[in-house]
Amino acid sequence: MTRTRLTLTSVVTQVFLVLLTLLFLAPVVWAFLSAFKPANQIISDPLGFDPSQITLDNFERMFQDVPIVRGFVNTGIVLVLKGGLTLFFAPLAAYGFAKYEFPFKDLLFGTVLITLMLPTIVLIIPLLLEMKELGWVNTYQALILPGAIDAFAIFWMRQVIAAVPDELLDAARVDGCSEFGIFARIVLPVIKPALAGLAVLTVMNIYNDFVWPVVIASSERMSTLQVVLSSLAQNITGNRIGADYATVTGELLAAASIALVPLLLIFIVLQKHFINGILAGSVKG
Amino acid sequence: MHQLHTGSRRSHRAAAMLVGTVLATSALAACGPSITTGDATPSADADVLVAPTAESPSGEITIWDRSGDLFNVFDSVIADFNAKYPDITVHHEAIDIDAKLQNTLITGTDVPDGVFLDDAKVAGFSEYLWNLDGVLEPYLGDISEQKVGVNSLDGGIYGVPFDSDPGLLYYNATALEAAGVDATAIETYDDLLEAARQYQAAVPGAQPIHLEQSPFLGQLQLEMYASQLGTSLADDNGELRLDSPEYEQILTWLDTVQKEGLGTRAEYLSPSDIAPLESGQQVFYPWAIWFSFAPQQLLPETTGDWKAMPLPAWEDGGARSGAMGGSSFVLPKQGENSDLAWLFYEFLMFDEAGYTAVWGPNDVYPDGLNTSIPSFVPAADPAKPLFGPVEALGGQDLWATATEASTEIPVGTPIPTWWTGAVDYLGNNIQRMLDGQLTPAEVIDQSTQDIQANLVDRQ
Amino acid sequence: MTTAVATRPAGRVSPSRRRPHTASSRRRLAPYAFVFPFVALFVAFSVYPMLFTLQLSFTDWRGSGAAHWVGLGNYTYLLQNPAFWSSLGNSAAMWALIVPVQMVLALAIAVLLDNAKTRMRSFYRVAFLVPFVTPLVAVAQIWVVVFDQKYGAVNSVLNAVGLPDVGWLVTSQWAKPTLALLFLWKTTGFIVIILLSGLQAIDPAVYEASSIDGASRLRQLRSMTIPLVRRTLLFSVVLQTLAIFQMFAEPFVVTQGGPYSSTTTAGLYLYNHITRADLGTGAANSFLLVIIVTVLSLGFVRLLRSED
Repeated sequence: MTRTRLTLTSVVTQVFLVLLTLLFLAPVVWAFLSAFKPANQIISDPLGFDPSQITLDNFERMFQDVPIVRGFVNTGIVLVLKGGLTLFFAPLAAYGFAKYEFPFKDLLFGTVLITLMLPTIVLIIPLLLEMKELGWVNTYQALILPGAIDAFAIFWMRQVIAAVPDELLDAARVDGCSEFGIFARIVLPVIKPALAGLAVLTVMNIYNDFVWPVVIASSERMSTLQVVLSSLAQNITGNRIGADYATVTGELLAAASIALVPLLLIFIVLQKHFINGILAGSVKG
Repeated sequence: MHQLHTGSRRSHRAAAMLVGTVLATSALAACGPSITTGDATPSADADVLVAPTAESPSGEITIWDRSGDLFNVFDSVIADFNAKYPDITVHHEAIDIDAKLQNTLITGTDVPDGVFLDDAKVAGFSEYLWNLDGVLEPYLGDISEQKVGVNSLDGGIYGVPFDSDPGLLYYNATALEAAGVDATAIETYDDLLEAARQYQAAVPGAQPIHLEQSPFLGQLQLEMYASQLGTSLADDNGELRLDSPEYEQILTWLDTVQKEGLGTRAEYLSPSDIAPLESGQQVFYPWAIWFSFAPQQLLPETTGDWKAMPLPAWEDGGARSGAMGGSSFVLPKQGENSDLAWLFYEFLMFDEAGYTAVWGPNDVYPDGLNTSIPSFVPAADPAKPLFGPVEALGGQDLWATATEASTEIPVGTPIPTWWTGAVDYLGNNIQRMLDGQLTPAEVIDQSTQDIQANLVDRQ
Repeated sequence: MTTAVATRPAGRVSPSRRRPHTASSRRRLAPYAFVFPFVALFVAFSVYPMLFTLQLSFTDWRGSGAAHWVGLGNYTYLLQNPAFWSSLGNSAAMWALIVPVQMVLALAIAVLLDNAKTRMRSFYRVAFLVPFVTPLVAVAQIWVVVFDQKYGAVNSVLNAVGLPDVGWLVTSQWAKPTLALLFLWKTTGFIVIILLSGLQAIDPAVYEASSIDGASRLRQLRSMTIPLVRRTLLFSVVLQTLAIFQMFAEPFVVTQGGPYSSTTTAGLYLYNHITRADLGTGAANSFLLVIIVTVLSLGFVRLLRSED
């Protein structure tokens, strides 16, 4: 009796999950397959797929039209530097907030929380003018520094580090460890799983960020991958007037398919760390 | 001791950084606009571009275009340009112009020397652009008046006119013939209504006339109709003139099409639009020349059935075309070599080798670029086609139809900076009318009020 | 620099006795050094631009030329403008459409994935997270095609089961739900993982005890699981509330705020001033949003505190 009920439940569970998975994956699969269709058919017959008509035209045209390789290189550079800054300095600041007392700490942390809630676009224009004054328009530092060490990372890491027992830190102190040494040798190893989670999340955020890069990287030389993608997407609306938006849609889907691959690979390889990291770093129930 | 030392060195470094930040911040406090109460009047002469005088000018220019077909077309013309000007290096970039131009002009960093821009956006950027009055002077008499008009502002001209986009009436000749409707007899919009009624009687369920559902394109199409009547949203002084008998006539006509069930309401070339085009339910498409792309690329079932004719007139003997859309090239003042960029556009638009390469057969368009025609009248000679007959239009000589139609377009006025912003009001209200929620008079009243209060008065 | 010290357990007594003062002053100074890099960037790229925005909000600056002082003009213009209020209303409506559905759905999936008897759990975790890593600009195109009124896949399915067409993206009553679906699709996988983390922190003994009591699965869920992940749920709600309030890219690429401004969210409305070069009004709009978000977030912080 219990047994049959269990089986029934698990069948229902599986059906529910499989259906949901289909819904979740279908759009991505559609984009992927469409990228290999002749451009005009993406518009005229969006749901059809004729394997005999598979073509690489969209990819060829896309590589010709937009600097996607440049985009990959720039995104890679920003990813490493900005990601590195966040992954080192966010836990460090979080450690300061979690394990020390100092004047105005709560006020400062409160401001951190408020930044967390600010829409990015609020600061776009002033930041842009600031970059102009600094002479940083179209530079890597402009892509990297604003928004590096982001507030969410500090908020999350503080949560994680607060859970590290004080006894552990005091023991290290007695051992003569410097304050930074405690962070590097005791705290970092303990929070490694959460840090892995933060790493994946940071990579995703930086990889997919497009509002600020679009504004600040106006030259082709500095375009990140998302800037390239958004220039294609914008041109679909633009080209409705210039007529050939089927071609551009084809190019966009080709570019998006390529852009998806590295992230998906990173994600599949690191998914255990990411999920465990979030598990390790989350607010306890 | 050793550790204390490192510690203090760290805090020393920290202090140095703090000082640096404070310095940077106080320096920054001086940035941004200076707030004044007076109006600065820029000297006009400093804004007029002067062409280079050197025998073979040299330098590098950066040109921005949208990605897509035109990018490839212009790209292939660079070699021809270099045959004439071997010492000018052209960096050609595919850019999201709408998102980037404004920010680039504000920051003044890495400003391109030349930019491809919708006519509707030229006036908005005029403060940043060279006045091309001087360099265009030899050509002005030969450029379509409508294009000169839309690029002019306060006595200056801020764009090198690119294409002319005459409105045409595209129609499915095969389907209409089968239903016994003679489309060639259509001369006025009343005739078009009548033809649509006949077609609907012959083909039950048909909704023959296209009604645009995108607020932006709907407003653009409205301006095409208005252009036929020699009017537009704003007059020469930028004053709103929507409240006029002309607009009332146009809106009433659109409202009639909707009320009588004679229209297919869909966004331009969306799936909802393509299907009735293919099934012969939607057979009249009053649109700019660039609709020609659809039968060539998106309508495999009915390709070859379509034809183009001049638009109907609003009254007997009225103009048979109006302008819809179009682009120009602008030259930002902050560009390093704007004068060399001018040479590039001069070659592209006014040199026979240039415009032949743009509109003639090329790798991208084997039969030539047939989605627009040159706005430079000597290039748009009906007798000397740059692009060949269009198979998808049953082998029609679209060149002749379009170039003749373009001569019918009345003179244009500058497109006001707030034109795109007006879509939120006028563009939306047209759609509400087509939903049956507003009358034509209400569209005019409400849009006039809102545009005046939110756009014109806040300039 | 501390290698020698740390690997010298025998000598640990003497140095620590010799340097009590240094150690404590170091301990006092250390947090400043730790938070400094963050604070420096924070001041330079958040606080400063915010002050600048404040200044800009009292002018009519349009990106070039001189700016004129207009006092509170931009603020009164916005506060009296129905479009400003409706942009806030649209954001609130999006919240109402997304958050309840997402929490229920994500919790259901998380509970199933937490159950050791469910097969292929790691496959599902990845599958649900795929939308989260997909570039939004591509997804937007997909949405436009799939939700087309007459020829989109969704309406084809509806017709197949005898339901009428829905004007997903072309009617003001359906455009919000359609965008909400996009947001749900894109972010639910992430919320599932967060909730899963909350679930996995529950001591299995709690369940065992209740199973012995003979509590049904559903009752178990209601009376034990949900209370135990309450904080995680609340955290997710806060996270999504902020994300929805900042939502800009989704309507920007899919609907451009239409039809009839029904999807012009607070973020998109602000952006529209900027694209029209009306920077003064844009700045004033920014500040009004900052005030609203601050009030909202203080409310949430209080809520989180009261949960302790």
